[in-house]
Amino acid sequence: MLEIQSLSLRYPNGKLALSNFNVSVNPGELVIVLGGNGSGKTTLLRCIARILMPTSGEIRVNGIDLSQLNGERLRCARLQLAMISQHGSLVKRRSVLANVATGALGRCADWWTTLGGLPKHELEAARGCLSEVGLSHLAAQRAGTLSGGQAQRVAIARGLMQRPRVLLADEPVASLDPEASHDIMRLLRRLAAEENLAILCVLHQVELAYAYADRVVGIRDGGVAFDLPRAEVSKDAVRRLYLSEAA
Amino acid sequence: MSTADIRRVPLADDTWGHALTMALRAVGVVLVALVIVQSLIVVEARPQDLITGIHGMADIIRRATPPDFSKIDTALWPALETVDIAIFGTLAGVMMAVPLAVLAATNVTPSRALYYVARGIIGFARAVPDLVWALLFVTAVGLGPFPGGLALAVHSIGMLGRLFAETIEHMDMAPVDALALTGARRVQIFTHGIVPSILPSLLGISLYRLDENIRSSLVLGFVGAGGIGFQLLTAMNLFQYREVSLLLIVIFVIVLTVERGSAALRARLA
Repeated sequence: MLEIQSLSLRYPNGKLALSNFNVSVNPGELVIVLGGNGSGKTTLLRCIARILMPTSGEIRVNGIDLSQLNGERLRCARLQLAMISQHGSLVKRRSVLANVATGALGRCADWWTTLGGLPKHELEAARGCLSEVGLSHLAAQRAGTLSGGQAQRVAIARGLMQRPRVLLADEPVASLDPEASHDIMRLLRRLAAEENLAILCVLHQVELAYAYADRVVGIRDGGVAFDLPRAEVSKDAVRRLYLSEAA
Repeated sequence: MSTADIRRVPLADDTWGHALTMALRAVGVVLVALVIVQSLIVVEARPQDLITGIHGMADIIRRATPPDFSKIDTALWPALETVDIAIFGTLAGVMMAVPLAVLAATNVTPSRALYYVARGIIGFARAVPDLVWALLFVTAVGLGPFPGGLALAVHSIGMLGRLFAETIEHMDMAPVDALALTGARRVQIFTHGIVPSILPSLLGISLYRLDENIRSSLVLGFVGAGGIGFQLLTAMNLFQYREVSLLLIVIFVIVLTVERGSAALRARLA
């Protein structure tokens, strides 16, 4: 479903952020990317979402190469790909339901939506997505009043509203307490299985990777250090990822 | 190097640094004093005239009291006109300032060229005082409240455009980026992401501008651009000081009411 082949990114200052990176995520699979600070984890996700333009390589989502697309074609292709970030990135002054419903904007081209309204049927669908993340009781609440864990769940619900095939999660449990972190990871695990989503998730918490990942990808200096099923990832291999950061 | 050595070296540098700082401060004080003195000379400030002129001021106050409340009915329409000039000027200013601010905000502007054009328009509208705009519009469209409203609108574009652009530049861009990733179009990102985030600030700034425009519209009448200012000027020219004092009371009530109302609304929005 998501196939990254020989992806490289060199910044204008000459720094190589990603080097010949290869990874694939199948439907229903939760792949967790581990790596030290500055190893290229977030850059990888930003490249896949085409926030950053890769220098070379392919980003295939459902067979379509995003790396070569621009403008309207890129916007349409992006509909298959949802991304959640560290802090949810919700519009704080809007209601939780409206925030979730904005996930459908990509497929709404009517005047009402253009002027800031949201179609009734999409609001109904948003209620369904909210209920899927267990927050339907907060629909009318303002997004700015949510806790970190709740905001992250709402962001996931907004991602689901897109009806994506691939979900990218950039440190979705950063700044959450352990219980909330496990809640979010359980939710991602369930969505991968039930919605048949391909999920690529960047994490710093090694124990969460061991607990929830189907596969773990280690990233070091912008390249793949290892790509193994969870059970085959040794603690030494993980330690080496972070040792290189300390050095 | 011993601890004593380490201390001695910076101490020597500090002495020179301290002396330099003191010298610069002294130069600064002298410069400020020179600026103040030259301004007193240029404006020909003569405090003694205030004392010798006290009889003239007392005479004006005596002739202005009591206010001529019998003319209150003639003051009401110009008062309403003054408020409406400010409302029209603010609304028109907001409508034109919002799109210009979007173009003039570095983080959302669609192109660098449009950014400079928008900044240029905003800067020009702000640089020309509203009274000068009023004179120009009186020449263009004739006497009355309409040129006053236009003058305030154009000047407001300058003030509001700059403040709106700064508000947009300081907003949290994470929700905007998140909406872009959902496949939303540019206009949808603006209406669903940017507008809800900055709307309270925009309303607060607009209310403050209305407050300012009310004050400005009071004097626009002096150049024939409608409102209570024109009536005030006429009464002064005809030495009708009791009517002048009545009009000043009406102005005071308008300003105070709008100021309090605007402050209360802004507090609710905060």
